[in-house]
Amino acid sequence: MLAQLRQTLRGLERPSGIDSDPGTVTLGVPAIDGVLGGGLARGALHEIAAAGEAHLAAATGFALILSARAARKSTIWIAEDMALAESGAPYGPGLDAFGLAPERLLTLATARSRDLLWAMEEALRCRAVSVVIGELRHGDIDMVAVRRLSLAAVESGALAFLLRASPPDDASTAATRWIVGATPDECLTAQLTRNRRGPLGAWTLQWSDDDERFVLAASAQPVAAPAADRPHRKIA
Amino acid sequence: MLTAVDDAAERLGLSPGLALAQARTMHPGIEALEENAEADAALLKSIADWCLRYTPLVACDTPDGLLLDITGCAHLYGGEDALVADLSGRLERAGLAYRIAIAGTIGTAWAAAHFGKPGSYACGSERQLLSPLPLAALRLDGGTVAALARVGLKHIGDIADLPRAPLTARFGGDLLRQFDRALGSEHEPLNPRLPVAPYVAEQRFPEPIAREEDVLATVARLASRLKIALERRGDGARRIELTLFRTDGALRRIAAGTSRPLRAAEDIRVLFVERLAALADALDPGFGFDMARLSVLVAESAPSEQIGIGGAEDQTELDRLTDRLSARLGVRRVRKLIAPDSHHPELAAAAVPAQVTVADPGWEALRRYRAEAELSPRPLRLLARPEPIEAVAEVPDGPPLRFRWRRALHEVVASDGPERIEGAWWSEHGGPARDYFRVEDKSGLRFWLFRAGLYRDLAQDTAAPSWFLHGMFA
Repeated sequence: MLAQLRQTLRGLERPSGIDSDPGTVTLGVPAIDGVLGGGLARGALHEIAAAGEAHLAAATGFALILSARAARKSTIWIAEDMALAESGAPYGPGLDAFGLAPERLLTLATARSRDLLWAMEEALRCRAVSVVIGELRHGDIDMVAVRRLSLAAVESGALAFLLRASPPDDASTAATRWIVGATPDECLTAQLTRNRRGPLGAWTLQWSDDDERFVLAASAQPVAAPAADRPHRKIA
Repeated sequence: MLTAVDDAAERLGLSPGLALAQARTMHPGIEALEENAEADAALLKSIADWCLRYTPLVACDTPDGLLLDITGCAHLYGGEDALVADLSGRLERAGLAYRIAIAGTIGTAWAAAHFGKPGSYACGSERQLLSPLPLAALRLDGGTVAALARVGLKHIGDIADLPRAPLTARFGGDLLRQFDRALGSEHEPLNPRLPVAPYVAEQRFPEPIAREEDVLATVARLASRLKIALERRGDGARRIELTLFRTDGALRRIAAGTSRPLRAAEDIRVLFVERLAALADALDPGFGFDMARLSVLVAESAPSEQIGIGGAEDQTELDRLTDRLSARLGVRRVRKLIAPDSHHPELAAAAVPAQVTVADPGWEALRRYRAEAELSPRPLRLLARPEPIEAVAEVPDGPPLRFRWRRALHEVVASDGPERIEGAWWSEHGGPARDYFRVEDKSGLRFWLFRAGLYRDLAQDTAAPSWFLHGMFA
């Protein structure tokens, strides 16, 4: 009966943000998933920044793979006009290779960042959407906007990604922040520079076409040791 | 030469057709403005728009007339006289001179307004009204009128009882056709300026409204009325237009499209919430709107709403999101990807407005094709237009060794290719065949480049083939 009571209580608790676990998206790489506390948190906002403008395609690929692994329903990709003009638009035949079905993707082009943020929020609130990617070309987005988007993600359980063309200077309030770049031999570097659930790290990943997932490249050099379970570090 | 004169000038004895110099000699103090046909046409159109409040069937009768079909509409204004009074009032306030005639046929009304006495003429009185009027009142061309005059036929009454065949033989079919139409023996339809919507609901406000909330509440109310009519025919709306009529006669038109046929009033209201939010300038109601009309411009057959089971509900939710985003941002900014059947990279994928119904997006077919043909990988991001780059490559068809793109130099360390894709030879701008290469540079950045044109195809004196960067791989 006690077990039943516990279960009822758990059901009554409102999701309190990143603590409770609406689910996570695993990367398929145990080392990283461990650091993230199981995987990338759903119902949260994550930032993925390209190491430099030329690395935007690599960052996009990283975001897309995560989206493909997360997407039970539709994915919405929103970018500013300038971003699409300078860095190219998502190319259907290329998306397929990442496991992201173009049929489940809706793309938006906005003229202003204000529209982009509004559209992201609208999309996050739609229950038929599991992933929203917002590609911001220039400028920092203010804390208030990030907070709003995080809240929208929490309420809906959807995954929100902010894709940036260069590493931002400001402190982040996102659940995780990554800096992704391309490296030789068809690999990517993914550097975790903010992680609410644990320590940071950097990994070199290789895309495995056959398994359709990331694997750690042979020459991986993690910056920090993988996380041991440290519950006191979670935010109350 | 004078083309038009006002009342005061008329009283002075001036009329159209008089030479300006002569007019000035007679009355040196007159003011002459240059004729501006475009402005006149624009003015006529805006008056035609005002008249939409009386009926959707409004046609311009250039250069200076309008035709309105008010069958069944007059009672909404409290009768024909009240309608005429309303229209006359507006025209007077705008400082325009006018003549208004109501009759059972276009021909009679036109004749009365132009050559007869303005007023309202009951059906059945056409012959009586038309007989004394000159033949020009039948809207015949000048040549025919002159020919008729030469044989002494000047008034409509003169030809009314003449044998028909000789008249047609002598003066052409037009004469009797116009006559028959004026009398009503032959039907003359009115060609409205704007297409008539299949479903319309409207409401007048004794107290003009101006606030956005009130406009939206009106939309909801009108949409509920439309829903009944749509349901009866099993239709749903794909394109809806809200027309707001200001007290001063000006119009505001706001349209919205949908991804699937809609009937629910709330769904329609939500669309207009976004459209109003998206308006660059405010609604600008002036002194208020005294009438609102909601029309379904495009309707489509819609099966009755099914209680959703999982997938269908999600699709509905996604359609609602698409509609809201399209209404706020613009239809072309919200897109879905389709795969047209083309090997040409720019054409192999297209982004179409998400609201457009597409039977088969084509991805399944593309996957099968790519699997069978074992095509090399495609980039993740494709530039809208391939960008020219400076490249150094082995002649004649080797991969690039290094290239400069957007002022940055890239050293190629690995490459894959060529994959030859023929140009669109059937189109003028198809361009030459392209040899595509996947290249990776020293930093690990990966690009999709191509060389346009083959060395052997070039004549001696043309430039070397050019290189382009088309896309980026992750």
